[in-house]
Amino acid sequence: MSELPDLHKAMAESLPVYEAPAALRMWAIEQARAVDQESLRDAPSLASMPWVRARSFYKWRTAAGLLIAAAVGWGAASLRPAGGTTPGISATTNQLVDAHVRSLLPSHLLDVESTDRHTVKPWFAGKTDIAPPVVDLADKGFPLLGGRLDYVDGHSAAVLIYGRRLHKINLFVWRSTTGEPPDRSFAVRGYSLLHWTRGGLSYWAVSDAAEAELEAFRDAYVQ
Amino acid sequence: MVRRADKAPDVKKAAAPQAGRFERIVLPHLGAGFTLAMYLTRNTADAEDAVQEAVLRAVRYFPTLRDDDARAWFLTIVRRVCFTAYGTHHQGTDVISIDAAGPQLVDDRDQPDAAASRLQVQQRVRDAIDQLPPLLREAIVLRELQDCSYTEIATVTQVPVGTVMSRLSRARTRLAEMLQDVVDFGDVA
Repeated sequence: MSELPDLHKAMAESLPVYEAPAALRMWAIEQARAVDQESLRDAPSLASMPWVRARSFYKWRTAAGLLIAAAVGWGAASLRPAGGTTPGISATTNQLVDAHVRSLLPSHLLDVESTDRHTVKPWFAGKTDIAPPVVDLADKGFPLLGGRLDYVDGHSAAVLIYGRRLHKINLFVWRSTTGEPPDRSFAVRGYSLLHWTRGGLSYWAVSDAAEAELEAFRDAYVQ
Repeated sequence: MVRRADKAPDVKKAAAPQAGRFERIVLPHLGAGFTLAMYLTRNTADAEDAVQEAVLRAVRYFPTLRDDDARAWFLTIVRRVCFTAYGTHHQGTDVISIDAAGPQLVDDRDQPDAAASRLQVQQRVRDAIDQLPPLLREAIVLRELQDCSYTEIATVTQVPVGTVMSRLSRARTRLAEMLQDVVDFGDVA
């Protein structure tokens, strides 16, 4: 006669099964709603992903017409302006949005927290090979919140964080390798991105604020 | 008593009735993913980071999810993040014991002596699991704690079913060496 529990019971009685912390769960729900929203409204952007399998897409979307439209208008809906979109750009914008989203998680936003540009700018020295202009735009409605280093799409990037009312703007800066292409805006998974190149530096502003806000931000920043 | 999460924990309740596909299919497994990450990284901060990264990847690769086994799919992503980003494959020495964040496991109504001895047994089981190499630990945790089938474990750990069974058997043998006097291992011991 043995009263010893078997391994299954012993483990179940001894080892905790965890639940995701509430903050993580709330954040995940927001991510889910963003992607679910987009998949309903903006189906071609899903279908335009190279790894999408038409079968699974078709299974849950009854609108076959969308699929055809997606095949034709490859990427046109997910990335503006239409045309000229490359998978490379799509990977970059995706990674920028991921980095932006990650930065909004508790304790991930700032490596150096300061509203003083004289603190933020020297902080980058020695940590990155570029020295992004650090300007305080509080009087234009974009207070400087701090800086951070990040690694995006094969670049180590200096990141400046600005506020815009309740929104945050992550400004990623790295050395440009492509000359000075025209400014472009993108919309990815509900986030706005604005890209510009000045003085050999490539800038990507990412935010959940509206595209027009990012343009106002760029205008304030480059002045 | 032991805190056991249901297969579909409270994420589902929190979801809006019109919850979208990702929310309905993937998020119920957030807790399972976090639990696996806790046993692989063995500290809360890394486990949270790993699950965050896994959710971001899951969002991106969601269109490739074809069948109904979202749990194995999500656990696969979580595991890959843990092994690549957090170096779980290294036998770290700076290990934070998983029981630090564990729940109160002892029923207050027990006699003091019985409670104390149960607590000791639970501590020994946790220590024994802690001492297993990561590959054996994840196999036994997925099997006994998260009730995964051999096929699911094979999917999550990306090895053939035969390898899964051999790892489980090795894990049980190792555990039996440490816990023979408090756990009934049947014919393994």
